[in-house]
Amino acid sequence: MPTLKIDGVEVTVPAQTTIIEAAERLGIEIPRYCYHPGLSVVGQCRMCQVEVERMPKLAIACNTPVADGMVVSTRSPKVEKARRAVLEFYLLNHPLDCPICDKGGECPLQDYTLAYGPGESRSVEEKIQRVKHKVLGPHIVFDAERCILCTRCVRFCHEIPKTGELGVFSRGDQSEINLFPGKVLDNAYSGNVIDLCPVGALTSRQYRFQSRPWDLVRHTESVCPLCSNGCNVVLDVRHRQRGEELLRIRPRENPAVNRWWMCDEGRFTFTYLHDPARLRVPTWREDGPRGEMAYDDLLLRVARAIRRVVEAHGPEAVGCIASSWQANEELFLVRRFFREILGTPHLDFRVRPVQFQPSDASEDGILRRTDKTANSRGARDLDLRPGPGGLDAAGMITAAAEGRLKALFVFEEDLVRAFPDGPLREALGRLDLLVASSLFPTETTALAHAVLPALGFAEKEGSFTNFQGRIQKIRRALTPHVASRSLPEALRELALNLGRDLGGIEPEQVWAAIGERPGPYQGIAWKDIGDLGLLPEES
Amino acid sequence: MISDETKKRFDALVKRYPEKRSGLIPILHEVQAEVGYLSPEAIAWVAAYLTLSPADVMSVASFYDMLHLEPVGKHMIYVCQNLTCSLLGAEPLIRHLEDRLGIRMGETTPDGLISLKRMECLASCGTAPAIQIDGIFYERVTPQKLDELLEKLRNGRLRGSRA
Amino acid sequence: MAFEKILTRYQDVPNYTGTIDEYIAQGGYQALPKALREFQPADLVETVKRSGLRGRGGAGFPCGVKWGFIPKDSPRPKYLVCNCDESEPGTFKDRMLIEEEPHQLIEGIVISSYAIGCHLAFIYCRGEFVSGAQVLERALREAYGRGFLGRNILGSGFELDVHVHRGAGAYICGEETGLLESLEGKRGQPRMKPPFPAISGLYRSPTVVNNVETLSNIPHIVLRGAEWYASIGPPKSAGPRLFSVSGHVERPGNYELPMSITLRELIFDHAGGIPNGRRLKAVIPGGSSAPVLTEQHLDVGMDFESLAAAGSMGGSGGVIVMDDTVCMVRVGEIVSRFYHHESCGQCTQCREGTAWLHKVLRRIEHGQGRKEDLDVLLDMCDNMKGKTICVLSDAAAMPIESYLAHFREEFEIHIRERTCPFEGRGAF
Repeated sequence: MPTLKIDGVEVTVPAQTTIIEAAERLGIEIPRYCYHPGLSVVGQCRMCQVEVERMPKLAIACNTPVADGMVVSTRSPKVEKARRAVLEFYLLNHPLDCPICDKGGECPLQDYTLAYGPGESRSVEEKIQRVKHKVLGPHIVFDAERCILCTRCVRFCHEIPKTGELGVFSRGDQSEINLFPGKVLDNAYSGNVIDLCPVGALTSRQYRFQSRPWDLVRHTESVCPLCSNGCNVVLDVRHRQRGEELLRIRPRENPAVNRWWMCDEGRFTFTYLHDPARLRVPTWREDGPRGEMAYDDLLLRVARAIRRVVEAHGPEAVGCIASSWQANEELFLVRRFFREILGTPHLDFRVRPVQFQPSDASEDGILRRTDKTANSRGARDLDLRPGPGGLDAAGMITAAAEGRLKALFVFEEDLVRAFPDGPLREALGRLDLLVASSLFPTETTALAHAVLPALGFAEKEGSFTNFQGRIQKIRRALTPHVASRSLPEALRELALNLGRDLGGIEPEQVWAAIGERPGPYQGIAWKDIGDLGLLPEES
Repeated sequence: MISDETKKRFDALVKRYPEKRSGLIPILHEVQAEVGYLSPEAIAWVAAYLTLSPADVMSVASFYDMLHLEPVGKHMIYVCQNLTCSLLGAEPLIRHLEDRLGIRMGETTPDGLISLKRMECLASCGTAPAIQIDGIFYERVTPQKLDELLEKLRNGRLRGSRA
Repeated sequence: MAFEKILTRYQDVPNYTGTIDEYIAQGGYQALPKALREFQPADLVETVKRSGLRGRGGAGFPCGVKWGFIPKDSPRPKYLVCNCDESEPGTFKDRMLIEEEPHQLIEGIVISSYAIGCHLAFIYCRGEFVSGAQVLERALREAYGRGFLGRNILGSGFELDVHVHRGAGAYICGEETGLLESLEGKRGQPRMKPPFPAISGLYRSPTVVNNVETLSNIPHIVLRGAEWYASIGPPKSAGPRLFSVSGHVERPGNYELPMSITLRELIFDHAGGIPNGRRLKAVIPGGSSAPVLTEQHLDVGMDFESLAAAGSMGGSGGVIVMDDTVCMVRVGEIVSRFYHHESCGQCTQCREGTAWLHKVLRRIEHGQGRKEDLDVLLDMCDNMKGKTICVLSDAAAMPIESYLAHFREEFEIHIRERTCPFEGRGAF
């Protein structure tokens, strides 16, 4: 392994490491535009030039492998002049519209110009005029004047989704990035070009003019819930007069999960969290019309109804269908409540065909998976399945239809949609107690006696386990609606109403309990789950 | 859009190369000759033929001066504007040509017959100033000689390979 | 002393049209059988190394050394690509060689392919060489017909196919890796080096790229020996060279001469001097990328070393002569317009710098220069040199630096008087 010196500090790295990577290990960021660790190296922007002893010319750090004994300077006068020159060249034609540019405040051209650039331009020539705010596709808008031709977007489309929509057209300073006439930039991963673009040339139509970076008060690290891949994300939240608003989801680098990318569905699907149609307050229906009811009253009534059923028919008359939308902590508490406190074996989470297979599959060989929920793996690992003699989800419905099952809890699933065939409505209609939790009103909630508003993934703390078995934390980015309680809180209350103790409901406490039990998560504590998640077999 | 015979020629052409993408520029030359210019449809045809993305082919085509992405005249006159030709009268020649045809360099006569294009060094400096009409060199060109060439071109008496 | 023409000896044959029979009649295709029978490939590489032949495209790299970089143990096919993208302003000798003596090149290609173990070679012709490419196609058909190409060449078991491939108009395709990209059907954007083409070139295989004139020398070296070749001209610039002389001279044209010739001899003895009783003002000795020389440099030798020592370069052998009616700011405008037009656009300094250079020079020429422009130009040139993937950026900057070094006053007059003092004089 070669040892080299960068800015006077020694570092030993594997052979074939490039200078830019070696510097990163020392925490030295060499400025760059065209280089991106996830894309092919083209060495075009010339921003990352460094001085290497005994090399006559400056070397580009992105494409120069380290060598033993190499002495590199990233801040020598020669380097600084070259860098200043590159920035001056870029700014010859780059519009200085930073105050109205979405990238302003988080723009590498702005940042490096401030750090290394010339104070003012020596050019008096007119800037080249090019196409502005051209819509490239459903998510992306393009400003060719701001483009510095780093070609990251072009390479991304060629190399990751392999759709190749973008190209560099013409030559020299006439070069321009564009689409073939009549085509659109519409692949499942197109949003990544927004993050890749080092200037404000490719911006998000959804986020356009929504915020300045410094108005985003919270950047919460979390995990995308929209499939079993569990892409690592950052949730950018802004305070508005009407409250907090999630404005943007960005991928967060995780080499083992999503590298630097995420799909458009995950990136742009979040406005539902702010949808006024969401369920905000608990409701109760008994003989008469549905009405709002305070949590405590509602949970007392539910407890009473449970007790009636259990006393009359035994715990086997109660069933629970949990959900792979739920976090591990919720799932663990659901299982504890139903299997241990109530003592029913009827517990399941599987309401989708893909959940009956040993594993789901990759949808496209990139990131997207066929299980479009976040936590089937967690539900399986935590054994949210029928106990001895227990019924699966379909079995519970049959049992309800036949009058054997009297009370059913359905969390975050619309059974009417999951089981469209068969006498589902009739089955649910025969129940003495149907409790449903949901983000939105559904046909199932319409039939339920008690409806609890559920929390979205950005409103709760906990973890999902992705298809690989990697446990990854989700963190609260948005404060839930005042009237909403978390499911653990509701379950704890319900247990209390039944004279039982559910145990601690904070993630640390739940994991203390999970870690005690035999199973895939034995020995794991909440603090063990790092920023990039935890794969139990690796721990 | 492309005749079967031409396509057969392409099939043979790409076999010359270990990787068929190498046939791209020769094919673009021929398609341009057949269609008149590289229309989006023509580019899309070539892209499909070589299993490349149309943007990729357009990107390549737009790199080269002799490949035209906009319609051009039936005849193409290139005028060298580089140093030696300029030393020996390229600019007066260009002005003469523009006057005679009533169009500017980079434009096409309204009847679609002739396009004018400034070119960089054509490797004819020893016989400057030089022009090319439809791929054929004409050297030591004077305004008078130019008039004769234009006359012949209009009468269809100028040989040219239009490649 | 009259110099024996080697590459252009056909010029002394009346009505010579370059057919295979004419070529054979004057001794052509004798080197090929000799090479195949008497030489092992490695011996040929050694012979070419000893001959001192240097690349005639521009860089002047020793040809045999380049061949020697081809790895012997690589399992991949080897390729020879003949660079016939002659585009360096002021250079027109390769075009002449392919149009007038195509078989000399083809014979050189077959021998060179044998030397490096290549079985598929390409001649990359610039797109504008429509008729030149046709001549080569016809010559290749003739060579196939006589068994100089194809399977089992001259019973040796050696096999080679050669194809002509036409570009489509881009100066940068003369840069060898830009050429390879173009030959692969891509934009002609030069590649980062290393790896050099000898290791990873065409289709990521070991590749030699040699200029037309360079390869045309090979049959003569094989036939008459490395020592004979090395004895021509100065020791480090061996062999004959084709100088393309153009501009303000009585007899422009290609002159085949040893590189021991001086600039003065070339311009005044061979090309007939400056017409109309004018004085020499400036001369570009090696294509437009070369820094300009003036009267004071007339006795410099036209070899690679002497020209470098004089602050310029041998480059492509394109000698552009300018008399005293010429405005050097206008020359700067024209030359920078060329590089602006031809920059491929991938590297920042070149894409933006070539355009900026052009715009500033155009402004000065048109009487809108500012005092500070000249220092900005020089700093810009410094920022463009030695910092990009290929040397087009350097090639754009170096001439301008030299115009400013030798003719700064002329630029200052333009700025001071807000006009071009040469305007209206001559056709320029």
